[in-house]
Amino acid sequence: METLAFYSYKGGVGRSLLLANAARFLASLGKGVVALDFDFEAPGLHYKLGHAPQGERRLSGGAVPYLVATARDSTSPPPLEEHMIEIPVPPGTSGWLRLMPAGPAPDRAYWAALKQLGEAVRFDDPSGQGLMPLLDLYGRIRDELKPDYLLIDARTGVTELGGIATTILADTVVCIFVANQESLDGTLMVAEALKSAPRLKGQRPIRVVPVLTRMTSQLPSEGPLAEGVKRLLDLGARAPGKKESKLFELPHDALVGVADRITGMPSVVFSPLFRSYVELFRELVPASEQQAMEAWNHLYQDVSRMN
Amino acid sequence: MSTDLLNTLVTGAIWRAEQLEEQGIGSAPLAWAEVSSLEERLAIAIPASQPEGRIARRGAVRAALKARDSARAQALTERYLAEKNTTPTLRTTLRQLLEEDARSLADRFRHAAKVVDEARVLALWLHEGGAFGLAA
Repeated sequence: METLAFYSYKGGVGRSLLLANAARFLASLGKGVVALDFDFEAPGLHYKLGHAPQGERRLSGGAVPYLVATARDSTSPPPLEEHMIEIPVPPGTSGWLRLMPAGPAPDRAYWAALKQLGEAVRFDDPSGQGLMPLLDLYGRIRDELKPDYLLIDARTGVTELGGIATTILADTVVCIFVANQESLDGTLMVAEALKSAPRLKGQRPIRVVPVLTRMTSQLPSEGPLAEGVKRLLDLGARAPGKKESKLFELPHDALVGVADRITGMPSVVFSPLFRSYVELFRELVPASEQQAMEAWNHLYQDVSRMN
Repeated sequence: MSTDLLNTLVTGAIWRAEQLEEQGIGSAPLAWAEVSSLEERLAIAIPASQPEGRIARRGAVRAALKARDSARAQALTERYLAEKNTTPTLRTTLRQLLEEDARSLADRFRHAAKVVDEARVLALWLHEGGAFGLAA
């Protein structure tokens, strides 16, 4: 199981949407994928993956209710299936996608569960009593669901849970930022910390993939912003066979911003953003250009059918 | 501070910690940390060759574990094991306390059982350095 954490120092950079599209792309590529929403204070991955609460449709389970149940009785934890949603994948593809949302947000029951979790578990408990439930959940996903990929929404800022998701659980951290000094400085600080974080035995060093989003114009070639990006690229992992790390730039696309998910609209599917997505996903997951385009075609036909 | 006074304080602290634990009150680990600290003082005052000294050493380690401070429990154990007059029985008891604690964590979280010791090291790193280790 390869674990990719999606992290941003600041919010509003398109992190969850990028994760949702990466998850759907990987499933379209024939991979088994679990998406895990660790953005407990502002959960929304279920919206991005087409499970917004509507009418009678409400979520019940998720990571927060699961961890609360585990804190009460960890010897007989609830079945994972009770806390997961099966996300449909395009017909004709052999992959699958399951989402563990944070919980039934924005229902009040979710916030009550989050409060209970805060009272029952401290993730930084020095005895490991707070970290073990997360490592156990990670292990259960790996052992029981056996996905090829686990994608974690590691939320924004400097938080204990975000720190655990990126430094301890992830193999690769996709660091998403926008072209301003505040966003870049925070991202640099965290990327540097990731490189020196201790790891479990057998884990590879963390690979950092910098992604610049909401681009409306070219980056300046000199000045503090350009120097910061260069430092970030120095921290970025060297992909096998490549000497230089690459900055992935995702252009701003107002249509995607409004829809908050990839839709079947041709103007979106064939937009520069769409092409940039493909390029980034091929960096994250080895796939030939032909395989990648086939996966996108599946996905495009599927979203067109749904719309 | 006299050992009599320390004994009185530790008795009261144990009673309080047990009550908090029974009632499921979140500050129980803090109360156990206080017990561990008092037992440690008693252990300094009374050598391990005396029964009361052995009880204090065992109590200091046990209370540290109940305070969820496995690093402190480990450090106290190492210190007591290094003492010249530590009896074989006390050595065994102290090691068993640490092993039982690790085993209980492994039993509770079977899918992460193999990494309990490493998880504790990482948890301590997180506790001391904050998220991403940035506060270290």
